[in-house]
Amino acid sequence: MAEPVGIVLAEHFSTVTQQRQAAKLGLWAWLITELLLFAGLFLCALIIRIQHPASVTLAATHLKFWIGAANTAVLICSSFTMSGAIVLSRIGWRAGMLRFMLATAGLGSLFLLLKGFEYYQDYVEHMVPFLSGPYVLAHDQASRLFVDVYFITTALHGVHLITGVSILLVLTWQASRPHFLARHQNRIEVYGLYWHFIDLIWMIVFPVLYVLNR
Amino acid sequence: MARGDLRVLLRVLRVPALTLAALLALLAINVALGATLPFRNVWIVEAGVTACMVAIVLLVSMDILEETPLIRLFSSIGFFWLLIMFGMTLTDYAYR
Repeated sequence: MAEPVGIVLAEHFSTVTQQRQAAKLGLWAWLITELLLFAGLFLCALIIRIQHPASVTLAATHLKFWIGAANTAVLICSSFTMSGAIVLSRIGWRAGMLRFMLATAGLGSLFLLLKGFEYYQDYVEHMVPFLSGPYVLAHDQASRLFVDVYFITTALHGVHLITGVSILLVLTWQASRPHFLARHQNRIEVYGLYWHFIDLIWMIVFPVLYVLNR
Repeated sequence: MARGDLRVLLRVLRVPALTLAALLALLAINVALGATLPFRNVWIVEAGVTACMVAIVLLVSMDILEETPLIRLFSSIGFFWLLIMFGMTLTDYAYR
């Protein structure tokens, strides 16, 4: 069952440990910039809430709370499958790791499908103020600010998820080749950080947009 | 799957499974509070539950507890920066 696990030492590193830590540190540096990007949007949502509480509550009640909750559960489950892939990669269980990676990509795709359905429902209910059609809360112009932030934040998160699923599928294809774990196990660990980060951002998006403003 | 393999699988998946259970339980609390709004200022509890979920993902799923001091420093610097950004901005708006 178990295959050899390790990474090939690149010439500019002294040890494998140093190479592993450098990869993780590099990814963390990038994740911090991503955190600041999303934090600016969360801050916008909070400021709009402080300035226009009634309008934000009105707009938030039109969001699809239960789809948001279901999507949060889907991403939490995907976090579990990604963790499963990481721990199985550490012990060299390639077949199990590949199944967990495919399950993670499947759950990520399910999230995107549900999100697409939610956007469609928003469109049908005229909750898309930036389109030329009617806007159901047109009498409350301040609500447009919150709805715009909702679409920008969720769409930006969706772009990250589409990227994440694409990279994961490529990584799964690479990992299905023989000797992958013996040469590149580190890639699974580093990619796992990115996936958990996408989940973490949604765990903040859901309460900030859907729950706290009701 | 052989019994030995199953035993190994259960052992290595113990922490991820406990994390999954904890996160789903906390989500259930937030969803229940959001759906029923049982008391005034329920958002304080909801924000606390969210903070717990974020802490679990960072410390357990993202392995911060087991990382080197340099990576722990990096991750905490990011959140420290956020504290400054949120603190200064909200101080302005909250006391206008």
